[in-house]
Amino acid sequence: MTTETLLQRATELLAPFSKGNTTPETNRLDVQIDANDLPAATSALISNSWGYLSAITPMDLGAEANKLEAIYHFCEGAAVTSLRIQLPREDRPRIPSISNLIPVASFFERELGEMLGVDVVGTPDSSRLFLPDDWPDGVYPLREEFSIEQATPVEPHETLPEFGRTGNKFTVPIGPQHPALKEPGHFEFSVDGEVITGARMRLGYVHRGMEKATQERNWIQNLYLLERVCGICSHTHTSAYAYGVEKLAQVEVPLRALAIREIIAGLERVHSHLLWLGVAAHEAGFDTLFMYSWRDRETVMDLLEELTGNRVNYSITVLGGVKHDITAENSHSIHTALDYLEERIRHYLNIVTTDTTFLQRTRGIGTMNLDEAKHFGALGPTARASGLVRDVRIDSPYGAYHHFPVSIVTDERGDLEARFVVRMKELLVTCFTIRTIVDNMPAGELTTRFPRKIPAGETISRVEAPRGEAFYFIKSGGGENPVRVKIRTPSLCNWTSVLNKAVGHQLADVPMLIAGMDPCFSCNDRMITVRRKDDSQTLSWSQMREYGIKKYAAMREMK
Amino acid sequence: MNTQSYVNQLMSGIATWSRINSPWAIHFNSGSCNGCDIEILATLTPRYDIERFGIKLRGSPRHADVLICTGPVTRQARERLLRIYEQMPEPKFVVAVGSCGISGGVFQGCYNIVGHIDEVLPVHAYIPGCPPRPEAIIDGIVKLLTHLKNGSRPQPLKLSHQEIA
Repeated sequence: MTTETLLQRATELLAPFSKGNTTPETNRLDVQIDANDLPAATSALISNSWGYLSAITPMDLGAEANKLEAIYHFCEGAAVTSLRIQLPREDRPRIPSISNLIPVASFFERELGEMLGVDVVGTPDSSRLFLPDDWPDGVYPLREEFSIEQATPVEPHETLPEFGRTGNKFTVPIGPQHPALKEPGHFEFSVDGEVITGARMRLGYVHRGMEKATQERNWIQNLYLLERVCGICSHTHTSAYAYGVEKLAQVEVPLRALAIREIIAGLERVHSHLLWLGVAAHEAGFDTLFMYSWRDRETVMDLLEELTGNRVNYSITVLGGVKHDITAENSHSIHTALDYLEERIRHYLNIVTTDTTFLQRTRGIGTMNLDEAKHFGALGPTARASGLVRDVRIDSPYGAYHHFPVSIVTDERGDLEARFVVRMKELLVTCFTIRTIVDNMPAGELTTRFPRKIPAGETISRVEAPRGEAFYFIKSGGGENPVRVKIRTPSLCNWTSVLNKAVGHQLADVPMLIAGMDPCFSCNDRMITVRRKDDSQTLSWSQMREYGIKKYAAMREMK
Repeated sequence: MNTQSYVNQLMSGIATWSRINSPWAIHFNSGSCNGCDIEILATLTPRYDIERFGIKLRGSPRHADVLICTGPVTRQARERLLRIYEQMPEPKFVVAVGSCGISGGVFQGCYNIVGHIDEVLPVHAYIPGCPPRPEAIIDGIVKLLTHLKNGSRPQPLKLSHQEIA
């Protein structure tokens, strides 16, 4: 179906609830609805298989309008339908939950509640997702009147016990500091014996408040701020932001610049997937593969450094183009490096599909079928390994993807093995695309003039990150700073599928299910029992801390 | 010199020797963008191979001599960072990796940031860069070791956390 027919269909489906339709861009439909109609409107879209919930944007419309707004973005192909709900600004306005229809919405609703101060009625878990425990009640960072002085730390609420026991069931806490977690996150698995019966997640250990920070920085500064959303897919974030801002400014970026962006995006995908392969192999105890894949990853890191000057935060994108050109000499090194990488990737593809020990950890584990992948709103390689054809580069081509299309890799099996296979095959496809672009480099300029102030408007920019669709909603008020930048990264959507699929598996499968996460039982206990020869004593965390400080002070004095 | 003090001296010599030759490290990300973390991980892999200095990344703070911190300190991670530091046995050293860890970097002024690492912990070595290259990380740690070898313990430049002091 074309984008027009999709939008036409959405208009028909939402007609009973609509309080006014607008078409801000050719591929978008904005429908104003009442808060009470939200579950019915969502159900109308979902039951007719119209798209998936991509993000919920919480927004404060300012003191003048005296309204808050929650925007529910649904995507299907290149078409984006947004359900816009205006809410009163006083106290905590109420909005019904749609988590029973769309599981992934529960994360977005937690965010909506804590960031904008909206009461989501009926949401399964209204505890904090991003804000710290010591954050005061009634202070919402995305409200316009928010200032940092309001957020003075308060005594934390009584949080849920981090571990405990009810009957035969234990709650096993994992993280935030953990041998295999490179980023801190906190997970609570309830287990019955060895079998997982439930999973919960608490984020916010690396929550810095970047969405708010974008409003205080100008359009160019934001490019460098958003590059640091994630060090692994830095180029994805700069390009998603740049594509959005360029659309708002109605600036045509030279094709050569777009092609260079696509090359860098491809190389970033290669480095990211090789990194992931290593970490996932490490979780399975296959350290040899970890070392090999990271050794080979250095080839692409060298290449990125040669092309951009940096290994991690490439900073090659500027608004309106790119900074560096790709010369004939560079093309030669790209080809040489890809020759080597392609050979190695074929080798890894062979390993992950034939190594018996490794297959025991991956084959048939965490199987997610196509319907489940749709239901949980999986994205990226996780979705494609379940046979779900979902890739922004194909559904809604941006940048140079019109000229240099990629082919999609899917697998029907949906288990961990399929995810390894999809990622490895995706690397081969990516290498092929990079070669095609390098051989057919379009001529032209690298940058174009870019205004300092961006005309007022709103845009949605979707980019396929190595882990799935990254979603940006950008609103300009016509000034030097954005009014609102909403970022939704793919991992947030994929967690739902992983946490749900973990139920019923052995606790020992968790590290492989959540590659890059390993169960550890000792490091985060809040209570600890100190055993002496004849008696034992239970200390609370604060007593334990006191004990430790005294002990070390005494040791220091002895010296 | 009596026997007791000779034995003490010998033992402390052995302890220093082994500490310098196998400092075990623990890594904690208290709000970093992951850039520094992947570069730290890269130092372990064959190209950079930090294990040739006897440095090993450990999972438990109880095994570690050096705490490698990345990122600015967020409000939620602050307490965990302190907890990890307190769980490490003495003598312990803190290395701050990356611009945000040193100054807050690009995240200065964000609402969920407590500050840079030396506002929370005493830091013994700073490795600048966004992110620093693996070579720089190795260089920073080796400089820390050289200090230990010379018999001096590097003094933290700033100590603002009252409870630890």
